[in-house]
Amino acid sequence: MLARLTRWFGSKPQLTPEQQLRLAAWQALPHALPDEPVAATRCVVVDVETTGLNLMQDRLISIGAVAMVNGKIALGDSFYAVLQQQSASEKGNILLHGIGATAQLEGVPPVEALLAFLDYLGNSPLVAFHVAFDETMIKRAFRNYLGFSFKHPWLDLAYVMPGLNPPLAQKYRALDDWIGHFGISIDTRHNALADALATAQLFQVAHAQACQKNITNMAGLRDLEKAQRWVSRVS
Amino acid sequence: MTTIHSSQLGFFTAHAPFNRMEREHLLWMLEHMQLGYYAHGEVIVSPEQGIVERFLVIKQGMVQGEQNVADASEADAWLELAEGECFPLGALLAHRPVASVYRADKDTFCYELPVADFHTLLGLSAPFRDFCTRRIANLLEHSKQVIQTQYTQSGAEQQSLTSPLSGIIRRAPVTCAPQTSVREVMKQMHELRIGSMVAVDESGHPLGILTLPDVLERIALPQIDLDQPVIGVMTTQLTALPPQACAYEAALLMAKHGFRHVLVVDNERLTGLVSEKDLFALQRVGLRQIGSTIRHARQPEELQQAAGDIRSMAHNMMAQGVAPEQLTQFISTFNDLLTARVVELEFKNSGLLGTPLHTGLCWMALGSEGRFEQTLNTDQDNAIIFDMPQDMDADQMRAILLPVAKRINETLALCGFPQCKGEIMASNPKWCLSLTEWKRTFSGWISGGSPEALLHASIFFDFRALYGAQHLAEELRQWLARVASDNSRFLHMMAENALQNRPPLGVVREFVVGKDNTLDLKLNGITPFVDAARIFSLAAGVTQTNTIQRLRLSASKMNLHVSEIDAWINALLFIQILRLRHHDEASARGLHDDALDNLIKPEKLNELDRRILKEAFRQARKLQARLALEYHL
Repeated sequence: MLARLTRWFGSKPQLTPEQQLRLAAWQALPHALPDEPVAATRCVVVDVETTGLNLMQDRLISIGAVAMVNGKIALGDSFYAVLQQQSASEKGNILLHGIGATAQLEGVPPVEALLAFLDYLGNSPLVAFHVAFDETMIKRAFRNYLGFSFKHPWLDLAYVMPGLNPPLAQKYRALDDWIGHFGISIDTRHNALADALATAQLFQVAHAQACQKNITNMAGLRDLEKAQRWVSRVS
Repeated sequence: MTTIHSSQLGFFTAHAPFNRMEREHLLWMLEHMQLGYYAHGEVIVSPEQGIVERFLVIKQGMVQGEQNVADASEADAWLELAEGECFPLGALLAHRPVASVYRADKDTFCYELPVADFHTLLGLSAPFRDFCTRRIANLLEHSKQVIQTQYTQSGAEQQSLTSPLSGIIRRAPVTCAPQTSVREVMKQMHELRIGSMVAVDESGHPLGILTLPDVLERIALPQIDLDQPVIGVMTTQLTALPPQACAYEAALLMAKHGFRHVLVVDNERLTGLVSEKDLFALQRVGLRQIGSTIRHARQPEELQQAAGDIRSMAHNMMAQGVAPEQLTQFISTFNDLLTARVVELEFKNSGLLGTPLHTGLCWMALGSEGRFEQTLNTDQDNAIIFDMPQDMDADQMRAILLPVAKRINETLALCGFPQCKGEIMASNPKWCLSLTEWKRTFSGWISGGSPEALLHASIFFDFRALYGAQHLAEELRQWLARVASDNSRFLHMMAENALQNRPPLGVVREFVVGKDNTLDLKLNGITPFVDAARIFSLAAGVTQTNTIQRLRLSASKMNLHVSEIDAWINALLFIQILRLRHHDEASARGLHDDALDNLIKPEKLNELDRRILKEAFRQARKLQARLALEYHL
């Protein structure tokens, strides 16, 4: 508990000059244009695994991400990192994501992992399913380890999909519901990379469906997400 | 190096050819791949896109290849690709646009490799290259290989009857000049301990052969002058095969004509000699020996013995993975020999041999025997055409011929060809007719078109001469080709009838099985091809009876594409392989030939065979669609 408090309220983490340069280089990147067609841009679909589902207490274990470039998932353009933990998570949690205690303790030092993620991400917009969870976890890790507030445009498929498929909106909530509906196979569920890939495939479906409705860029998809957020609040 | 691979490798290692590629090359490929999504109905690759730019592997979903035809209503899906399959290989290898439209048949994800990387990968990975370049016939080929390896394991390292002659020739042939003296040739044969001598000209072209039995018959007994040129006593009607020919072809030639040697000739030049002894090692029963036994048999018991030998030989060949068209040809050749001998013997026993009743008679094979498509369990379908001597009428002829025909049918039954339950046999007065009567009968069927007439037409119109006065059968055939091709109403009804028997595929392209979850490979699989080929050949005036030949020869007159015909023939042959394998397995379990059936359970097939069988049935469906189009059904 004390460790966590010191991390939250303590001094700024110490970065090496080289690490500071990398962070600054990322921060200096121009913003992506939300009006560019998705079919002509790069988006990064991300998924994280954590020590649990508690947004306040649990820690980030791994980040998996794949890029969708010009509408296609580029398998060579993907990212996966296990963050080194001070102590391994509980057994039940390990069974869920399959990252064993040794792997957790041997992972990449968090600062390096997060900087590598920024290098990989560039200025591409992020896409996830239930953004609130992934975003919170990633943001907190950035604040703790790099000492800066990670602000980045996100798109949440958990709202985009119901927005595009109103008849299914009542029935489907979880990622599994949607990928099951579209027959997307996934060989190792709850591996951040495999989940990111399945989510990216779902994004491809969403993109194709949106194009049918003349929604072709991120701005349009975000409008759709906003509208659906509003619908789900009032209904 | 990224880490996406671990989760994707599992998929690739489950599918050919990726399961045989080195991990390093697989990772390289993945690194360069993209994953694309195509909604149901979306075009993935089309001729309009120009030279193909990517190699695709279906991750999930289904892709249909559609033939690019002018009339959209004719656009019939001809190819169905499922998870793990690759396309469009032909176009990628040839750097050309695709010939067909590939469309997602349901929501589909494909792994995609840019064309440049595809070519790099061809250079990197031998299994990948091998797969892509041999892909065209690959599925069928693969299945054949699997069948063969299953069997060769039991046959140890034994050479098989499918080995090329070039692999069997033991040494260079011993030859002489045609002008060499008989004495000199005999001296050499004795010194070298060889059984034959071939005379060749300066360029190595064979002119004649002398074998040891000839020495006795043509030299010693007639006591000829030993200083004359040897060519004068040689056999100059030579039978030659190219070095690529299979051992089984040589064996069949020897059996059919009673030779002991077959010359191997490459580009007009003698390269070797294959003797019966060379082939003997390859087979448990000598083919020529069976042929010779049959030709010289005097008692039904000897023929029964020979029939048993034919069967064990057929089982042996099946076990060696001999292709179905060769196997059915083998069975037909020997059954013909056997039947001919039975007919001859019974005429001899009746004291009719050599009389006009014998010389003016043609014994006909009908049904599958008529088509050269017999397998191990076929019952008799035969008939007689006779020429009418001036002083007799048809009924008088029948009074004499029917008892003989009855004994022939009985002897054939003893030899393992069960009598036909529908009485379609020469001993039935209805099917022992003069040429005029046959024409009248056929005319009645063609103009009548009752269900019974159509059924009869489907059996009788596959007739061919098996023994005796061939010209009668030929005349009937020519006449039928003329009459039937003119009668579109009859052909229309034949087509309508044929379309009653649909290939067992449901709308969602699953097998439609009968009770006990079985499919009938003959009725549901083979028959649609046989029926359609018969109708095409009748319409086109083609006189062949064999289904494959009928399809090929009807092609141009019926405006059928060669590629289309090839696809149908491959499909037919594949079903035939499955059927023969089914028979072979049943025999191995101790079932007798008369107990063999054609019922298989699709769920018992391996995944590849199941998929090819589906594709084969889809070809049958396509053939029927073509028939329906032709006759506006």
